[in-house]
Formats: sequence, structure tokens, C-alpha cells
Amino acid sequence: MTLKIEHLTGGYTGVPVIKDINLEIKPGEVLGVIGLNGAGKSTTIKHILGLLRPQKGKITLNGIDLAAQPTKFKRQVAYIPETPVLYSELTLKEHLQLTILSYQLDEKQAWAKAHELLQMFRLDDKLDWLPIHFSKGMKQKVMIVSAFLANTKLLVIDEPFTGLDPLAVANLVQLIKSAAGQGKMVLMSTHILANSVQAVSRYAVLNNGKITAAGTLAEIRMHYGLKETDSFDQIYQILSQEQQNA
Amino acid sequence: MRDLAKRRLQENLRQSLKYLVLVFNDFFILALIFLFGALMFWYAQTMKTMPENLWYYRPLVSILLWLPLLIGKLVTLLKPADLQFLLPEDENIKLYLKPMLNYSLIVPTICLVLTAGILFPFATIKARIELIDYIFAVLAVFLAKLLQLKIMEHNLFFNRKISISLVNIFFLFLFGLGMFKPKSLLIIAGLLVICLIIFVLKPQHAALFDWQYAVDQEKKRKNVVFNAFSMFTDVKERQTNVKRRKYLDFLLPKKMALENPNKFLYRRSVLRNPENINLIVRMTAFAVLVSWLVQNWLWALGLSCLVVFLTIYQLVPMVDEFDDNIMYRVYPIEHTNRGLDMVSALAGMMLMQWLIISISWLLTLPVNLHLFEAMGCLVVFSWVVLRLYLPAKVKKRKS
Repeated sequence: MTLKIEHLTGGYTGVPVIKDINLEIKPGEVLGVIGLNGAGKSTTIKHILGLLRPQKGKITLNGIDLAAQPTKFKRQVAYIPETPVLYSELTLKEHLQLTILSYQLDEKQAWAKAHELLQMFRLDDKLDWLPIHFSKGMKQKVMIVSAFLANTKLLVIDEPFTGLDPLAVANLVQLIKSAAGQGKMVLMSTHILANSVQAVSRYAVLNNGKITAAGTLAEIRMHYGLKETDSFDQIYQILSQEQQNA
Repeated sequence: MRDLAKRRLQENLRQSLKYLVLVFNDFFILALIFLFGALMFWYAQTMKTMPENLWYYRPLVSILLWLPLLIGKLVTLLKPADLQFLLPEDENIKLYLKPMLNYSLIVPTICLVLTAGILFPFATIKARIELIDYIFAVLAVFLAKLLQLKIMEHNLFFNRKISISLVNIFFLFLFGLGMFKPKSLLIIAGLLVICLIIFVLKPQHAALFDWQYAVDQEKKRKNVVFNAFSMFTDVKERQTNVKRRKYLDFLLPKKMALENPNKFLYRRSVLRNPENINLIVRMTAFAVLVSWLVQNWLWALGLSCLVVFLTIYQLVPMVDEFDDNIMYRVYPIEHTNRGLDMVSALAGMMLMQWLIISISWLLTLPVNLHLFEAMGCLVVFSWVVLRLYLPAKVKKRKS
């Protein structure tokens, strides 16, 4: 049970953004993908979600090839985008119903879990609201609730902490840890390293569309020559210098 | 700020002209000429037989002259980005709004001149309003429009907002009064001029400009204009405001067992997306109206079949409605049977359309066996268009 990205090269028509990427996430692992703006994090995520067609390479999840069996692959993936995207026609309750229908979940069990998640993010009294009435943070919480409700093997989370209040950040970190504890795989792209270190077990550093380093926090620190007293955020300055020297 | 206003007005004019050319195409102009000609002929014939100086003529003139007041709001062309980039320009906003106000007067003035011109024979001959009084009445309406726009401008600042609806009702009352005592129209026009002078001279520097309100008002105004254009052509700038319409929830299935994601989404889109539900309501009302006008079961059937076909035809793009939503593509949703999913979502609404048209036939057309046969034919036609034409059209669209 693993997510395997093998020799992935891709991006937008005629413009390869990521080049020959190899990544593997094992059950119970939370992989943090870090890098500067434009490094290729979101492009990698779009490829994993099947939103972009790879120019080269292959993506498989538990042996299911994304290109060959997209629906079967997608049924094992839940996604939390950086900018919340909701259906303007659906209420919060209906977003959850749609998730239940799409992922073919058991209705009774799913609603029990949904109520837990809704309470956690203080949305339980807003089931009948349309997205137009939600703030940006609330919309992001709806995305989180829907993704964790889907109960998939792989969770793909793009910049999850922007727009969330500190309580919601803590709840999300707790949910990610608990998902990893249940043997799920999590791929998370983020800039906010202070929050990510609480949940991430392994990092992959993307720069100029290539993975320049991968490993635990200590291994990454060692790779970039960071002392124990140095802030992990200094990695961005090093990446910026690498970009200029390239 | 004045230059910015001029630039935006030019852009707006260019955009409006682009849509006006599409709306007033050759066929529409031809239809309009015929309709206008028919209306004028009817007007001329009616004028010959109409009795003179009945009690309600003058109030009628005042109401008809008042109508152009309802056309056109203050055009500001403010954009959401102005909240960020023009925020420190409160002091210069008056310079920006001056050309906007002049521009806002164009359409209502044209409508007023047209209305006044058409109404002139009736007002002077049948309602026996003297020429000079009529001119003052038209002038008073123009001044009222100007004052109304100045009040709209006043409302854009953090002042106490004045209700435009109340202002309009007040003007209607004023014109009604003026028509019974035509000499007072001169006084009314004079009073409106004084009000305008007060509004123009009133210092507004102290008041802060209510940017959020102004941007929201402009967004609403533009949407009304785009909605009008969209009845004739596609308007890409138009924003649809989804409404909850909880009272229609009874049309949604209670049990989820037979649902799939596409049916689930389409059903809600039909009921809550104004583009879809308004289209169905508009087309149904049109079928009812033409059936009543033709007063013949065969013509009613033919025209209603055309309406049913056009309803389905115009609803076909609904199939791609969610394609731009990234979550729709990320979720494991099958896209192969979307045509049939749409059929399920529309079946209830089409049945209701048939029911409403049939009831209207029973109420407005001579009831006989043919009428019941026509009802049967209409339901069969609706079924064929929905079950056979729609999925085929969706399939063709995809390929």
C-alpha cells in the first residue's frame, strides 16, 4: 500500500515545470513537500490528482495506475486545496452528502463521523448554509471536513494552514496525526514549517522543479548545513540562493 | 480621477455597444418595427373612438410620465479592486462621480423623451392638458430624475441613506397632484430646482465615501444590465447569484439510495441556479401566454411543443456547469452517463411545465375532446424531447 511517483515530468502545455520526480509515500507516513513559490509543489499535486497529464512517468496508488483507472484511483484520494472550492448551489449538509455519494460511503457511519468533524470545527449549526454565507476560513474548514469524511487511503493537502484560526490549525494537525496513526498516507505542501513539523514525518524539498533533498527533519537540516540553533525557515534563503546560482 | 472616470466611461460605452449590436440584430429590429407600428396603429385607432376628459386620464398621464424615473441607476463603474487601489481618493471622488452622473442621465432622458412624445396626443387632446403645462410636467420629471440620481450619489457616502423607493413614491404622489392642478407643475419644477441646488451646494467633504456600499451597488446595477442583455445573447461578464429556495426542497428526493453525484448536483442546479429555474419559468409563462392569445387548440399545441423543445435545448449547457469546479474533477465521479443523469434531474420540472400549460389550456381555451388529445400529444412530445433528444445532444456535445 504505497503512493509511487516514478520519473514524473510534467506541467502545462509545452512548459515542463517538474522534471523527473521520484517520490514514495508509505502507509502511516506524512510527507511534507516544501519549496519556494513556483518550485513545482502545486504542479506535482495536480498530477497526483489527475488534473494534469504527465509528459513522462507514472503515478500509482496501491498498484492502481492513475492513467489507466482514474475513478478507482480517485476513490482512494481526498484533497484539500489551498483555496477552498465549493459548489455555490449546495448547502454544507449537501456537500457532505455529495462526498458520501461520490466515495460510496456507508451513510450511517459517515454521518456519525461528519458530526464529530463538524463539532470539532464548530460548523455543526451551519448545515443549512450556502457557501455564499461562509467566511474564507469556514470554507476551508468545510474542505477539511469533506476530505477527512471521505476516509481515503491518501490525503493530499495543499497549503492547509492559510486562513485558519489557531484552534482549527491545532485540530487539523491532530487529524493529520491521527490519520497517519491509522495507516493512511498524507502528502502535504506547506510554507508554514512551524505548524508542519508537528505532523510531518518526512520532507521532500522541491527546487526548480526537481527534488533536491528528501528525508527526516534532521536529515534535511544536515543536507543544508543548518545548525541545531538555526531556524528551519532558513532553508528558504538557501533555496533562493540555489535558484540564483542555477 | 476625472481621467479615470472618462476612461471607464469609454470602456463601458464600448462594451454596451458590443452587446447592443448583438441584441438589436436585423431580425430583432424588423420585429421591433412591426410591433411598434402595430402599437402606433392601435393607438391612433383607439384615439379616434376614445371619449374625452375622463377622470382617470390625468392620473394615467402622471403614472406613465413617472415610469421613466424607474429606469437607470447612478452609473459609477467602480470595481472591487478600487477598494484597494482608490481607497485614499475620498477627497477626489466627487470629480470622478460628476461625469458619471451626466452619463447616467442619458438613458432615462431618452426614455422620457420617447414616452413624452408618444403620450403627447393623449395628454393634450384626451386629457386636455395644456401644452405649456405638459412641457412643465416633462421638465419636472427630468428634474426629479436628476434629483433622484443626486440622492443616489449622496447615499454613496457615510450619510444617512435615503430610500430611493420612498423618493419614487413621493414623486408619483407629487406628479399625480400636479396633474389635477396643472398650474402647480411650475411650482413643483421650481421646488425640484431648489432641492437640486441645495444638494449640489451641500458640502460633502466631511463625509467618508462608503466604498464597500458603492462597489456593491455598482455590481448589482451591472448585473441588472447584463441580465437584460443575456435574454438575447451570451454575456460572459454576468454573475449568477444562487438562491437557496428552501420552499422548493420538496422536489428533491428524500432517499439517497437511487442518487448519484451528477443527479444530486443537477437537481440542485435546476432549482437554485437562477439561470436554469428562470428559464423554465419564463418559457412556461410564454407558452401559457401564447396559448391564450391564439385561442386555438392546434396552434396552442404547436407553439407549446416549440416552447418545450426550446426549454430543453437551452438547458443542454447545464451538463458542463460543474466542469470548471476543481473538486468536481478530483472527486471520483463518473462522467459517462451525464445525459441520462440530466434527464432524471429535469423530469420532474418538465412534468410540472406540462401540468401548468395543460391547466392553463383548460382555463383559457374551449374545452373539447381535441384539447385533451392536445394535452396527451404535449406530454408525449415532452417525453420524447427529454428522453431521446437531450441524451443524444449531450453525447454529441461531448464528442
